Amino acid sequence: MPATDYQESSSSPSSFGFSILSRRRDQVHSMESTHDATGQETELEAFQRQVAERFQDLAAADSHELLSIPWIRKLLDAFLCCQEEFKIIVMNNKSKLNKPPMDRHISDFFERSVKALDVCNAIRDGIEQIRQWEKQLEIVLCALGNQRSIGEGQFRRAKKALVDLAIAMLDEKDSNTTLAHRNRSFGRHNAQKEQRSFGHFRSLSWSVSRSWSAARQLQAISSNLVAPRGNEIMSTNGLNVAVFTMNYVLLFVMWALVAAIPCQDRGLQTHFYMTRQFLWAVPILSLHERILEEAKKRDRRNSCGLLKEIHDIEKCARHMNELTDSIHFPLTEEKEREVKQRIEEVRRVYDAIKDGLDPLERQVREVFHRIVRSRTDGLDSISRANSHD
Amino acid sequence: MAENGEEKLIAVARHIAKTLGHTNTMTDDILKIFSNFDGRLREKLTEKLSEDGVEQILNNLDRQISRYISSDNPIWSNAADAAAFLGSVDQLIAAVRDWTPLADDKNISSCLDRAEDLLQQSMFRLEDEFRTLVERGAESFDLTLSESTHPHPDYSDYDDDDNGFADEDENFIPVAQQITDYDIVIDALPAGTIGDLHAIAKRMVAAGYVKECRHAYSACRREFLDESFSRLGLQKLSIDDVHRMQWTQLEDEIEKWIKAVNVALRILFPSERRLCDRIFLGFSSAADLSFMEVCRGSTIQLLNFADAVAIGSRAPERLFKVLDVYETLRDLMPEFELNFSDQYCLLLRNEAMTIWKRLGEAVRGIFMELENLIRRDPAKAAVPGGGLHPITRYVMNYLRAACRSRRTLEQVFEESVDYRKGDDQALSSSSSLAVQMAWIMELLESNLEAKSKIYRDSALCSVFMMNNGKYIIQKVKDNELGTLLGEDWIKKHTAKVRQYHVNYQRSSWSKVLGVLKVDINSSSPSGASKSLKEKLKLFNSYFEEIYKTQSSWVIFDDQLRDELRSSVSGSLSPAYRNFVASLQTVPDFGKNADRYIRYSVDDVEARINELFQGTSGGKR
Repeated sequence: MPATDYQESSSSPSSFGFSILSRRRDQVHSMESTHDATGQETELEAFQRQVAERFQDLAAADSHELLSIPWIRKLLDAFLCCQEEFKIIVMNNKSKLNKPPMDRHISDFFERSVKALDVCNAIRDGIEQIRQWEKQLEIVLCALGNQRSIGEGQFRRAKKALVDLAIAMLDEKDSNTTLAHRNRSFGRHNAQKEQRSFGHFRSLSWSVSRSWSAARQLQAISSNLVAPRGNEIMSTNGLNVAVFTMNYVLLFVMWALVAAIPCQDRGLQTHFYMTRQFLWAVPILSLHERILEEAKKRDRRNSCGLLKEIHDIEKCARHMNELTDSIHFPLTEEKEREVKQRIEEVRRVYDAIKDGLDPLERQVREVFHRIVRSRTDGLDSISRANSHD
Repeated sequence: MAENGEEKLIAVARHIAKTLGHTNTMTDDILKIFSNFDGRLREKLTEKLSEDGVEQILNNLDRQISRYISSDNPIWSNAADAAAFLGSVDQLIAAVRDWTPLADDKNISSCLDRAEDLLQQSMFRLEDEFRTLVERGAESFDLTLSESTHPHPDYSDYDDDDNGFADEDENFIPVAQQITDYDIVIDALPAGTIGDLHAIAKRMVAAGYVKECRHAYSACRREFLDESFSRLGLQKLSIDDVHRMQWTQLEDEIEKWIKAVNVALRILFPSERRLCDRIFLGFSSAADLSFMEVCRGSTIQLLNFADAVAIGSRAPERLFKVLDVYETLRDLMPEFELNFSDQYCLLLRNEAMTIWKRLGEAVRGIFMELENLIRRDPAKAAVPGGGLHPITRYVMNYLRAACRSRRTLEQVFEESVDYRKGDDQALSSSSSLAVQMAWIMELLESNLEAKSKIYRDSALCSVFMMNNGKYIIQKVKDNELGTLLGEDWIKKHTAKVRQYHVNYQRSSWSKVLGVLKVDINSSSPSGASKSLKEKLKLFNSYFEEIYKTQSSWVIFDDQLRDELRSSVSGSLSPAYRNFVASLQTVPDFGKNADRYIRYSVDDVEARINELFQGTSGGKR
């Protein structure tokens, strides 16, 4: 579907921003032009094209790939590339960015970048949360994975880990509601400790205060983000289109991360300025729509994160729970086979997470550092490119 | 350990005997051979490994262990119970280990199943007991900003037989004392509890339940650390929060942070490390992993704040606090290396280093912002009377204050920094910091020169430059800033001030002096008289003019003011005296001279001494 969308828009003359730039280029060619003016527009056009290409590539993912860890990593890679290109554009245009109206636009972009930093930090916390779930799966594997024969004890151990897993994942979702009393301990002297144990999973999760909200943060990044108007595009030679583009990419990437990974007060209601003016808008908005669709699905509505691997955890945990609930001893051969099957499922999910989380976390951290770097460098070079009155 | 080895050996010996012996008699023969081989084996091997024996062992263990498991009371509330329970668990673990290689035997296999089941129940119970012990110990610990706990009374005296769940608060009385000395050794849990925890951990590891053990441990200790930090007043601030905070509030947060991060790295984390090492003694990767899990969140929270400061505004007023944060991290780097030395904490170490470097960048950025401020200061509003411009005062006092942290700034401005070499840095005047300072001075001077051109009177222009130049030199001399800029710089600028002095003299007074020039070879007496009258009139008006204007000019420095006055009168008085004298000699003029001479020589000198006092009386 995304592919068709793209074809539709390219055949229509409505790639407004693009055609504005090409009209301008024609104008420029018709008169004596400096090399610089042509060079700049090519650079800006190239930026538009590259952003579009990357997101078209991401949008080509099928429903299995979308929002999986490898896809998220691809998304972050795409972001880093866009960021680098944008950085060069800033460097090459610093004297223009020093003056109105571009000075306002670029400082606005850097302000939004700061808000994105907090999202990166929250995502890092979310990844750590998933790691805690991975550890419960590890116990399940340990209990049922390689025994010569599986006894009641191992099942009880696996069951306990599954219960802990469910509670941990539930804690994410209902962090503001009081949870049902669970009685997993064998000794009742722990009763008064239960209340306190609940807090273990919650309060320790976040490096930000209880009042921090991912939804609010995204809202702040998207506020007043509207496409530049034609006359302003002309007056800035398309530079404000580049800034708008980078803003949009930043917003989408942060939004997708929040959609995928558990964080405090996840909300996907962020307002996205609807536009088809730009080449990249089509794939980005189609991804946006697909992710929203995914969020509305019955079995994902209450999920703490749309990451494919989280769904896999939920599924294999559910299967495992169903299995352990239906177990009678002694085990029939059929049941033993079923157990082996389910365990293989758990192992697959576990391996995917184990291999994927560390590189993902490193990448999120890299995104953080690069956003800081390009903001610092950008602000410095613009303030230095002093317009001597 | 030796005990385990022996049991293993017995089990293997039995196994070999059973497998190799095709008949019971053969088995017996083989057993006999083994028995003759070593006395120790003889005893053990004569026990027939019958299914009855196995079942009996299992039934005994079941009885012993179930008694404890089914009880609601914490096992560890009674040391004898705890020891007995652990003893049974040990036997159970050994039994499982012995019987596992013999599991092909159907009877042994069913006993093995029961044993493993029993083992799992024991482990669950041990996990609960473990958790209870860890949480109990953490309750009474209090560490606040203005209080410190005494190194608690010797816990080796702590009687294990005592009811471990009695109120322990009396041992942790907070004392109102500033934490100035980070040498406090804090034992996070009583030694008895630590011993118990280690005993439990050992068994859980042996039974393959190390993960559960670690989780129980880290969840509780993490919460404890979280609690400690919030008691230290540390809020969980996002980067956005810090970004938008009022500066005065941020200063307070930085103060709190500095205390908290020192307490963390010098007291809390080492204490956690010791605890991990003791509880997971012998299981180093469990200890390392647990430590990392416990401290990761708090470390990230602390580093996030420092990062937020580094990413924040570059307003020059922030320099000193940002330097504080920079220095704090720098001084704590050895602690970071020490605490987070294992493989799991590598990421944390690297983060700390990255953020520290970012703080250095922030400091450099602040100086850049200062440069921008100077450059952008408009050359519009002229200071009345050519006095000291606020920007001169601001910049010079700022740089003086900044240079008090010279060593740190040197570090910040050098390209490659090794914090360990701090003291040995060769501080030459061509260091990056010196270059930065010289550059700022140059920017300041350019800005002042541009400002001076606003004055239309070039004499005032010079006075302005003299004032500001003199102030600059005063502030540079006799402190680190002067050392950085160097003697040559000071000499050069002193000479500049002197040059402005000369310029002033020339532009204000040369025409006056010109008027007073007495032409000895005058023409006709009448012509002389007339031109002298003209000259006198001119002198009077010039002098009047200058006096009126320049008495409202300002020279803030007493010495400079005196110098100027005396150099003016030094050249003017003799010239005027001559002139007046020559007036007297002119024939028809001399008698009426008094009518035209407005100022006596004394008057002139007096007026000169009223120059440069400014409208408010001059003194700065």
